Amino acid sequence: MAEVKTEQPFAQSSMKTYSLVELVRGAPTTMADKGPDNTVFAFPVVALLELVIALGVSALLMIVALLKNAPLEELANPLVTTDPAKAPWYFMGLQELLEHMHPTVAGVLIPTLAVLFLLAVPYLDRSRVGAGKWFGGAREKRVVWFTAIYALSVMPVYVVLDNAFPVRELLRDALPPLLAQAVIPALIMAAIVAIPVFVVARTSGQKATARQILLALFTLLLFSAIVLTVAGFLFRGPGFKLFFPWDMPDGYNPLNNF
Amino acid sequence: MASLVDAVTRSRVWRSFFRHGFPDNPLDRSLVMTTNIFFHLHPVKVNLKSLKVTYSFGLGVITVFLFVTLAITGTLLMFYYVPSVERSYGDIVILQTQVPFGQLFRNLHRWGAHLMVLAAVLHMARVFYTGAYKPPREFNWGVGVVLLILTLGASFTGYLLPWDQLSFWAITVGTSIASYEPLMGATIKKILLGGPEVGQDALTRFYALHIMVIPAFLALLIALHIWRVRKDGGLAANET
Repeated sequence: MAEVKTEQPFAQSSMKTYSLVELVRGAPTTMADKGPDNTVFAFPVVALLELVIALGVSALLMIVALLKNAPLEELANPLVTTDPAKAPWYFMGLQELLEHMHPTVAGVLIPTLAVLFLLAVPYLDRSRVGAGKWFGGAREKRVVWFTAIYALSVMPVYVVLDNAFPVRELLRDALPPLLAQAVIPALIMAAIVAIPVFVVARTSGQKATARQILLALFTLLLFSAIVLTVAGFLFRGPGFKLFFPWDMPDGYNPLNNF
Repeated sequence: MASLVDAVTRSRVWRSFFRHGFPDNPLDRSLVMTTNIFFHLHPVKVNLKSLKVTYSFGLGVITVFLFVTLAITGTLLMFYYVPSVERSYGDIVILQTQVPFGQLFRNLHRWGAHLMVLAAVLHMARVFYTGAYKPPREFNWGVGVVLLILTLGASFTGYLLPWDQLSFWAITVGTSIASYEPLMGATIKKILLGGPEVGQDALTRFYALHIMVIPAFLALLIALHIWRVRKDGGLAANET
């Protein structure tokens, strides 16, 4: 009778007892060799903290809901346009931008670039230095302060100036529409962003890190969005013209748009 | 009393629910996290640094809690609301004037939605400024970006539902921004609105997106997002 060959998944004895699998460069991503164990059991500490947050948010939300009613205007009427007609507050930054440049640039190109930039962030800055620490270092903190103050001061000036002397209107007859409406306003916006990034890149003494450039870009994006949103939401009144929020004509109150 | 507690916790019914003892020891404190579907999204142990309030400000937890609040209040609103051009506005008026606590629940839903957008943006800023997107957390940062867009989508689609002048013109303005896309703009607008302008078709679509599609994706991605925090080694704070 022929001997049936049984399958053997593992060799019973091998001369080789171990092998080199991989060399890992840089800091390990695991918790191994990370100094003294500074951990606690998540239960009940984290569960209790989350309960405290839940109660705090509930209390705050309940107080707001008791004090202020959600707005309800008249029945929707496609024949009667409200003045101004505004998007929800988180899109007012985009609607404000629409006042300053071609709608494809303001409504499509810039938001698409912003989302792509956000998605690309961790792939542009691959270093693990400073992870888990606010800003990461003294110089990084200064970059954030500089770009935040820059955006908070330059963007309002841009809104007011471009409103008083609208580039796209002044150049309407002098240049082809594509240049006047899209290219030149986009270049102005690009310059507003590029100047502080250039300053950050050049003044760092040594070569600026990817983290520092990203901090500058993200801060510019965040604080410009805040300025544009506030401008559109609070300072735009009837005819989508600029007014002080407390000085709106026709009894229009921008806070009723929440 | 003690023997009653004992009798309950030793009963077959109790033990079929909870597969661990009272969590006052390391083993049961581990089991309570790993055997509960909600707790298991968390790690069993956390670094004390990641619990510091001034590190995370609890913004992620606040956002999730607001989402849960919105799901609950939203369900209650659905009991009294029909997405129809003829009925919706009247339903809101009845909700506010005749339904017990109707106005309060609408207020909670409205202000909770605004707060959730705000909390999500602040959470993203916190994660960016603490460098918490750095490897190995690249993927989870991307999930977060998608969650922020979904949050805006949830809020935007809900904005139309009261069918008053505010919602009608806000959605008209908002969707016209989308139509400026040179190649697909008109198509995108038509898909969103179901027609050339905001009407019954738009209300139907926004309602379906608002109560079903977007919340489903949000719930799924929130679970992925939190689970991934654990898989990537907890909050980045413990690496400093």
